[in-house]
Amino acid sequence: MAKEPRHDAQETTASGAREQLLADAVAEYLDRQARGEATDIESFCRIHESLALDLKPLLEALEVIEATLQPRQPAAALEPDKRLPDFLSGHKILSEIGSGGMGCVYLAFDERLGRKVAIKVLSPRFRDNAVLRERFMQEARAMAKLRHPNVAHIYSLGPAEEAPHFVMEYLEGVPLTEAARPLTLRQKAELMHKVALAVEFLHQHQVIHRDLKPANILVGPELEPKVLDFGLALQSGDHATRLSSPGDLLGTPNYFSPEQARASAPLDVRSDVFSLGAIFYELLTGEAPFRGDTLPVLIQHICQDDPVLPRRLDPTIPGDLQNICVKALEKNPADRYGSAGEMASDLERFLAEEPVLAVPTSYARLMAGKIDQHLRELQGWKQDRIVSESELDSFRKLYDRLVDREDAWIMAVRRLTLSQVTLYFGAWILVLGATLVMLFNYPSLSGTPAVLVVSAAAASTAWIGVRCWRQEQRRIAIAYLLAFCLLLPVALLVGMDRVGLFTGLTRNDAALEFFARFESFKRTTNAQLWWSVLLSLPVYSWLRRFTHASVFSLVCAVMAAVLSVVSLLRMGMLEWLDSDPGKVYLELIPFAVLFFLAGALIERFRYPADSRYFYSVAVAATFISLSGVALFHEPYANWLKRVVPRTRGQLEYLFIINAGIYLSLQFLCERLPLAQMRAVANTFRFVIPGHVLTSLLLLGLAASDLWEKTLSSAALRHEARFFEIVLPLAASLFVFGSVPRQLKNFLATGLLFLAIGIVRLEQDLFKQRATWPLGLLGAGLLLMLAAADYSPLRMAVSRLIRRQP
Amino acid sequence: MDAVTSSYNLIERIKSGDQQAFAPLFDKHRRRLAVLIHYGLSLELRSFVEVDDVLQETWLRAFRDFGQFTYRSPGSFMSWLARIADHVIADAARSQGRQKRHAIELLRFRSASNPAGPEPMDSKTPSRLLAQEENMRRLLEKLDALPHDYRQAILLMKVEGLSTGEAADRLGKSKEATALLLHRAIKRFRALEHPGEE
Repeated sequence: MAKEPRHDAQETTASGAREQLLADAVAEYLDRQARGEATDIESFCRIHESLALDLKPLLEALEVIEATLQPRQPAAALEPDKRLPDFLSGHKILSEIGSGGMGCVYLAFDERLGRKVAIKVLSPRFRDNAVLRERFMQEARAMAKLRHPNVAHIYSLGPAEEAPHFVMEYLEGVPLTEAARPLTLRQKAELMHKVALAVEFLHQHQVIHRDLKPANILVGPELEPKVLDFGLALQSGDHATRLSSPGDLLGTPNYFSPEQARASAPLDVRSDVFSLGAIFYELLTGEAPFRGDTLPVLIQHICQDDPVLPRRLDPTIPGDLQNICVKALEKNPADRYGSAGEMASDLERFLAEEPVLAVPTSYARLMAGKIDQHLRELQGWKQDRIVSESELDSFRKLYDRLVDREDAWIMAVRRLTLSQVTLYFGAWILVLGATLVMLFNYPSLSGTPAVLVVSAAAASTAWIGVRCWRQEQRRIAIAYLLAFCLLLPVALLVGMDRVGLFTGLTRNDAALEFFARFESFKRTTNAQLWWSVLLSLPVYSWLRRFTHASVFSLVCAVMAAVLSVVSLLRMGMLEWLDSDPGKVYLELIPFAVLFFLAGALIERFRYPADSRYFYSVAVAATFISLSGVALFHEPYANWLKRVVPRTRGQLEYLFIINAGIYLSLQFLCERLPLAQMRAVANTFRFVIPGHVLTSLLLLGLAASDLWEKTLSSAALRHEARFFEIVLPLAASLFVFGSVPRQLKNFLATGLLFLAIGIVRLEQDLFKQRATWPLGLLGAGLLLMLAAADYSPLRMAVSRLIRRQP
Repeated sequence: MDAVTSSYNLIERIKSGDQQAFAPLFDKHRRRLAVLIHYGLSLELRSFVEVDDVLQETWLRAFRDFGQFTYRSPGSFMSWLARIADHVIADAARSQGRQKRHAIELLRFRSASNPAGPEPMDSKTPSRLLAQEENMRRLLEKLDALPHDYRQAILLMKVEGLSTGEAADRLGKSKEATALLLHRAIKRFRALEHPGEE
């Protein structure tokens, strides 16, 4: 029995027992309802006759609740008054031409101006709601201010004493997709361009349409589209109103954006861009991009599936129009056009027969799946020796390029349009101005004002850049942020100069200060330069994280390179330049190694894509330092002369020794399990044949020189001849060395030096002997014949070898 | 209940692909759901989230996930909807903090500097659905006047339509105690309707 914690004394009495009986009866009544059984108060009370007197009012109270919770009869509730009013705003009402969630539209006649007008009336069921009524009129008032040739115009608002309504332009036109059916592709693009501009106009006036669909875009006889019903969904309090008449939503969610269908995120202009894309899709193909027999299926399509590419449905649709359409239909708002205006400009580009900027990411998605599958298969084929390693590599590279196509804004940045060039021109002038303030003394602009001016320039570029980026104006943001990247160290330098930080001279010698070399410059120290660059580096790396634009990892790597040069300056580079330039190059080697390490660390630990600029700097530094050391480093030259005394200097050996170093570096890089690092190995491999063969050529020339001086020396003659023969042999070796890995530069370099070697042999060993060209002709022909019939030859050779033992 | 429009029939029609049946089905449960959502929202949340928005989201999710619903008893669709609504409310509560931070971004469309922009939601306005009908408003007023556990009993058994057993489980009481609680709740409710009778 009841073990109620709140036990009253009352409950132990008879009335307590009766109350429990009553309660059980009520519960039973409700349980019957819960089981879906028909219940009737009268008959139920007859069963519980003893309780009926108390039971009946309780059950009646329940029925009151029930009645309130039951849906009203739709017809009665939704359209309590179907009769048309006679007049609204003094216009004679002729007929009803449409109705929707918010209300209905009447056709009326403005007798004073003698024209037809449309009157939109708030549905009677909302009229009692003061808030909603006020919103309806407020939005109508706001929209009445908008005037655009492709947006339906609102003439006037209804007076307060009449039912809430507004009077608007009456449009005689057909829905967009119907009007577009007989049009050419170009006309369709023109039509869509106008629609997109009209929607952009609405967006600029803070109106999100939210219900763009062909039926809401009427096209007049002059092919002028008019956008209707804008912002109504919004002004009526968004989805809530749609919900009160679910039929609305059921009718046309085909053009809803995923975020709208999911009703998850707050909508912005890009939701309308999606709808524009869906409309454009239907314009082009004649079919809506997403269809579903049931709403859940449709919503799932909208949210998850990529539409069938328009060109699959109609191959006559130009690829550029497909790009525009698919770009607008991206699932992720960030991947779409940032605004209807951007979509309009791409359509304009198409109409001007220029390439459009849109590169839909869905293409990459579309391809990536298949490509992964294919690459896995290729991997298997490689294991089965059906394809070679190099073929697999080239496929992978090509596929990567297909999938990683660059974003539209990057292409926009690269296109030298007037605005883009002006942007960079302005940025450059800004940076130059700041640099002048940093470099020179201006009596009227020194000290604190100079700091303020330069910092203000840096801060404003940063602020505008970040702001533009957030607003998706990436093309502009990049220019500002790049200007900021250069302004930041300049501003730091000016600041340090003012405060007097890091004024210590390099090794206490003013002659070693870089800026001291120029008379008119300010006395900025190397230390200040070093610190300003060092302090800027974290900012660059933050910018890279913030924007994900690879240009900032390039900035980072380049500035790190600048930092190493300044480090050399601080170590006394200027002195070495005067006395021992070779030392500069020698000291550069550790920095090259540092860059390799930095690249490897970055790649290994977080950001593989960022490492490649560090590797590039590292490779360049390696080439420069090793070549420089070989050319200018005197101790090294002396050592070489001692070890290999038979030449005139180090130049001849420089290339071959460096080639050896590069070869070992290549092996090292290839062994490392880092993708970018392995790519670096290619760079080293690329220079090896050129280095080795140049070296052999120079050694040969030097040997011939020596021999010419003392013609009698047999040893020198042998040496000269040796190099003459070695060069074409080595070149041939490289030519054939190109085979296993498809190294085209091995082939090209080898062939070039083979020609040089053959000419050199002609000049000396075979001077004026016809046997040489004849022999070459014969050998060439033989080789060609042999190559054409290669396998019998090979078998003959192998038979020969087998017979020998 | 009319066989043609009974929930079971509508559910069957949707299951067999008739999407039009969803509207009347949802409509049947909309008011109950609105009341449950109204009391499911905390006071703080009520000033940010409108019942209609939760309803809308619940409706869409129900639509999306309809395939996962299995009919067990006449009340199972309602409890299923109520469960979805609970999730929606929980999500709304979770995203509340985020939305506060993102308020600046929303200002583009909803700020005093943009008089043409859409109005921010008026926190004092009750749900349109609940407010625009006199009956519903009166029902809410009376439910508001009840003590918490009385109201809870009515919400569970009358609005959500749970059986006494299910409601008892939910409340952590015995069946009898639950019935008693409900009985007293209805008695008090009736007293509000007919003041002076008792």
